[in-house]
Amino acid sequence: MLKKKLAMSVATFAVAAAMALPAQAEVSIMYADWLASLVEPGIQAYEAAAGEKVNAIKLPGDGYVERVALDLSAGTAADVIQMDSFVVSELASAGYVEPLDALAQSWDQYQYYMKGLLDVVSYDGKVYALPTDTDVRMLWYNKKLFTDAGIAMPWTPQNWDDILAAGKQVKEKTGVENAFLIPAGTKQGEAATMQGFYMALLGADTPDGDRNRLRNWKDGKWIGDSPAIRRTLELYKKVYQDEKLAGKAINYATDIGAAVRQEMQANKLGILASGSWEYACMWDCNGVNIPTPAERDAIMGWTPWPGSGLPGTKATTNISGGWAIGVNAKSPNKEAAQKLLTTIFDKGNFGKWTVDNKRMAVRTDISDSPEYQADAYLAAATKTAAETTGRDTYPGYQRVSALVQEMTAAILDGASVEDAVADYKTGLIDEFGEENVVTYE
Amino acid sequence: MTRQMRPWLASNGWLLAAGLLPALVLIGALVYFTGWAFAFSFTNLELVGKKSLDWSWVGLDNYERLFSRKGFLEALWTTINFTFFSAIVGQSVLGFLLATALRGTRGTMRTIVEVSVMLGWLLPDIVAAFLWSAVTNKTGLVNTVFFEPFGLQPVNFLNDFALQVVILSNIWKGTAWSYLLFTAALDSVGREIVEAAKVDGATAWQRTWQVVLPIIRPHIATNLLFITIWTFTYFPLIFALTGGGPGNQTKVLAIFMYEQSFKIGKLGYGSAISIAMLAIVGLLSIVYLRLLKEPK
Repeated sequence: MLKKKLAMSVATFAVAAAMALPAQAEVSIMYADWLASLVEPGIQAYEAAAGEKVNAIKLPGDGYVERVALDLSAGTAADVIQMDSFVVSELASAGYVEPLDALAQSWDQYQYYMKGLLDVVSYDGKVYALPTDTDVRMLWYNKKLFTDAGIAMPWTPQNWDDILAAGKQVKEKTGVENAFLIPAGTKQGEAATMQGFYMALLGADTPDGDRNRLRNWKDGKWIGDSPAIRRTLELYKKVYQDEKLAGKAINYATDIGAAVRQEMQANKLGILASGSWEYACMWDCNGVNIPTPAERDAIMGWTPWPGSGLPGTKATTNISGGWAIGVNAKSPNKEAAQKLLTTIFDKGNFGKWTVDNKRMAVRTDISDSPEYQADAYLAAATKTAAETTGRDTYPGYQRVSALVQEMTAAILDGASVEDAVADYKTGLIDEFGEENVVTYE
Repeated sequence: MTRQMRPWLASNGWLLAAGLLPALVLIGALVYFTGWAFAFSFTNLELVGKKSLDWSWVGLDNYERLFSRKGFLEALWTTINFTFFSAIVGQSVLGFLLATALRGTRGTMRTIVEVSVMLGWLLPDIVAAFLWSAVTNKTGLVNTVFFEPFGLQPVNFLNDFALQVVILSNIWKGTAWSYLLFTAALDSVGREIVEAAKVDGATAWQRTWQVVLPIIRPHIATNLLFITIWTFTYFPLIFALTGGGPGNQTKVLAIFMYEQSFKIGKLGYGSAISIAMLAIVGLLSIVYLRLLKEPK
């Protein structure tokens, strides 16, 4: 009798457990909340066409890159995944992401993607994701504070001294804590490396022999110590130690993006080293209730990052990144996943998002469209993209970038440039071996 | 035990085995994950890239790195500071003082204190982080209420006193536990014993130090055991409030491990850090468990 009861209850539990398992048919997607305005209309269009629900996993932007890597390695990631373009090759090399060569053949809109941008998301000659946008980096400045400080606008700094002088003037005349904020430290991850360190590094020495980079591509070695790295750290030291042009804590705020943007909107931030997305993201990346372009232009302006001004260095610097969406290699329904991918990137949805959110186009059919061409901001930003560069995204870059962030964190801690560079070099040698690290005198 | 069992239970091996199953699953999972971390601490496994598939055994390299590379020892020192001042000194002492002060009192005063102490405990870590960052920034409560009215320059506390702010916020957050535990412990001390000491002429200090404290010594040890383990491995509040910074000022071991494992992607090294943390917490626990034993 009892055995029967037990068997019954075990059976009941088993049935209940089986029913509680998610239905495997539906396709899932994970994306950061700030990309919702591109992804969500795509999801709706897919659901309407396919007649089945999409499992949409919207995640906060903070820690998104780590979450994706962890989910992919644990085998729990969604079928379709948004990724930062610089991690695509590394994720692909681990076999986590599906190559898109079949899609390239079958999808008629694939041909419009710009070749150079597909290279960023390629590994071993295969494309692994489709880019959503690209970007350029620049210095945004607050017009109210510049007016109060008596700095002429449009502001066109020619070298680092001009930036520092403007920062000092803003600080003295207005008393704001963050007169020139150059992203630093480990909390914001890649943003500190790219928006801050790289932009300065590129203008800190001549481009010859990769002297203004993190990697010497000809010899295939990481650069452990160079005049460019030291000059860049000197700039950080001036900002954070000598002149105190920015507070350290804002680089570690609970929500850094929100903290920085609130300061700018409240006229408490003089100059911000950031990127082209700020024209929308300063208020809302998804473009909800944001001021008109004229109102935005009244609040802040931008100027290209000047080089250091030393002989042989570039007049202005730039580096581009961007995001991408790809398909999980372990996805059980790759066909549906690819269908969702192409629905999101369908020209109607993708083109509208690009122009509405002031993103830099990654496809020629969008960049040639009359709406894109007519946008004054996008036209100006695209001009600065002419001479842009990319990251040194050789395998291992993520660790190099983390060491760079630690270098800037050491400066925040009050360390000397000498010590910060020495630790960086030791770190590189430990990661890659003495034979893969080079020093420039 | 078997004698007390109902006969149908004793005679039914399958049922006994089924009853044992949840415990086995739980213990198995715990052992499995610890074993996993232990094994991978001897490898160069990475989160992404080639070494996530093609990892190899590297012997004690990761453990050597703990001492040869910058980071671990600094983070350990920060963790010790954080644990000592926020848990052992802050939460424990403050909790004890509150419990002693409110002992025997009833009414509104006690309710107000208890509710406010509990509020900190009940608030989610992320909310607490936003709260403390708002309170301590340049235009925050402390500056507008205590500094600016007296003509003092406002200070952004997280710039220069990040560790102190983090310690204070953790004291604020965690005192409730110690308070509750000590309140219960003090209730177990008989009133007549304390009064007998009073009759014998012991001062209030002597009564606390020589009568009450020895009686609740096991409770103190239990409390220290718990809060040390929690605080030593504490992550969310610090990470949300300062992310380990500015610079490395508040980089405790838990944050260091997170960065190495998931930001840089060195799972092998991250595992070695976690095993080291396990060893340190284990040693501390042994010390406390000794304390728990009655003196012979």
